[in-house]
Amino acid sequence: MPLLSANRFKHPGAGLLRYLHSWWAALHLGSIALVMVLSPSTYGQAQRRATARYIYASTWQVLPWFTMLTAVLALVIIRIVVVTAASYGLSRYALEMVVRVLVLELIPLSAALFVALRASMAFDASAFAGAAGSRLRQLRIDIAPLVISHAFAVLSLAMVTSCTVLLLAYVNLYGLSPWGLPAYTRTVGRVFDPVVTMGFLLKTMLLGMAVAVIPSAAMLDLQRGPGRLQSRASSMQPGAVRLLFVLLLIEAASLALKYI
Amino acid sequence: MTETPLPNEPAHVEAKAVALLLLMAALVLGFVIYVMYARGVFDSTQRLVLEAEDSEGVTPGMDVTFAGFPIGRVQKVELGADAKVNILVDVPKADARWLRVSSVFTVERSVVGETRIRAFSGILTDPPLPDNAHRTVLRGDAAAEIPRLLATARALLENLQTMTRDGSPINDSLANIDKVTGSLSGKYGLLGGALGGDAQAQKLMQTLDGVNGILAKADRRVFAKGGVMDDTQAAVVELRHVLEDARGSLAKVDAVLVEAQAVGANARVATQDLGSLRGEVDASLRKVNRLVDELNRKWPFATKSEIKLP
Repeated sequence: MPLLSANRFKHPGAGLLRYLHSWWAALHLGSIALVMVLSPSTYGQAQRRATARYIYASTWQVLPWFTMLTAVLALVIIRIVVVTAASYGLSRYALEMVVRVLVLELIPLSAALFVALRASMAFDASAFAGAAGSRLRQLRIDIAPLVISHAFAVLSLAMVTSCTVLLLAYVNLYGLSPWGLPAYTRTVGRVFDPVVTMGFLLKTMLLGMAVAVIPSAAMLDLQRGPGRLQSRASSMQPGAVRLLFVLLLIEAASLALKYI
Repeated sequence: MTETPLPNEPAHVEAKAVALLLLMAALVLGFVIYVMYARGVFDSTQRLVLEAEDSEGVTPGMDVTFAGFPIGRVQKVELGADAKVNILVDVPKADARWLRVSSVFTVERSVVGETRIRAFSGILTDPPLPDNAHRTVLRGDAAAEIPRLLATARALLENLQTMTRDGSPINDSLANIDKVTGSLSGKYGLLGGALGGDAQAQKLMQTLDGVNGILAKADRRVFAKGGVMDDTQAAVVELRHVLEDARGSLAKVDAVLVEAQAVGANARVATQDLGSLRGEVDASLRKVNRLVDELNRKWPFATKSEIKLP
């Protein structure tokens, strides 16, 4: 393979340096994207339009069927949890378990994985190659809207699906009667204490940032090296392994902070 | 990407993106407000301090229930200066009406499941519980019962072991029972077991045979024709006749008594007449006496009556 060139074997430290540099590039891009998101100059006519197109592609087109698909899976899990808890006489813990497992953990992670997967399927390296010009212009025109739209996609998919699952859990437990609402609200309130709520929102945003930044950083990193882009043009999305690692790291850190 | 619209760009892309942004903002805001409402941020509450010996199982956020309904939420658990655990509970004003000054609070820890804090208000006509009230909480701990249960079970098992070891009274009793039941299965069954052996039972059987013979003879003497029972029956018949005669004699005596009673009554009347007759005779005698005295006075031969003085 071209990547395993003789040059790599001549300098054993070069691989490590490149690996560390790519991490640094990802962090750098993340910081720049964050600053650009918060900067008013980013929201010019052209950038707004580009961001709108990305949001349309990454969120609007997938939100209905992703919500439906997740709702079906969640319904199965909710039913299993409720029936199992009832058979052991632990019905009053069923709702708490559903909220903790589905809403707090599984749904944000699955939304992030879904957006990452979709981004990898839509990956087209030549688009970046064609846009190569002024680095700042490229960041402003191409990367910032992409980062914003992917982060927004993760947040919106997670929020909409979480609300749907909360509704499904209520209907599963109490039916369509409104009389279970006080007990349900109390249980939800008990689960979402301030730390958990902030952790949930923060984790979702971090997942969104990771999904948005890491693949883009990897793509920019590819542009830097001569010949790399051409060699990777038909392979998998760059930074996929790194993204998976970061997603799992965020999830593990969230679990550790909440339950340890 | 360029500023000119792409040829395959969908309609109203920006409007859809703004709608999505607004939807997400509304969802996040609504979610946060709902969670705040669920956690009772908007409720007006009053503070209740429960004092306990042990805070095990009590965590901030857990419910305080009354009759199964949550009426308060633990906000904080702290160790007081007197080494007692202070459980600070926020009770919404709307639910505080169930708590009275006489209310009792318990912390119950079950083997499976979470610890529960429960309130009991026996007298709902008592004054309401004031704000910042301090109450001692009673502890009902199922897990704490386990060591005592194990100790009791161990003592029970030791007793059982003592009872079932070799040479124990129960074993001896069972051996005796076994011996008795063994003897019950002998020729004379229960009788042999009760009397201590077949020989004794055999003697008893012989005695019973003798008694049977005596009874047969007695039957012949008593109940056979011309036996004691026949004589007795004849005597009874005769006795009945005697009694009938006696009843007739008594009837006659009764009549005589009636006659005697009548005679007695007549005698009583006669006695009453005799009294009046005697009075009349006495009066006549007194008259005759006066007459004689009159005659004596008037009679010439009457002695002169004088009184001589000594």
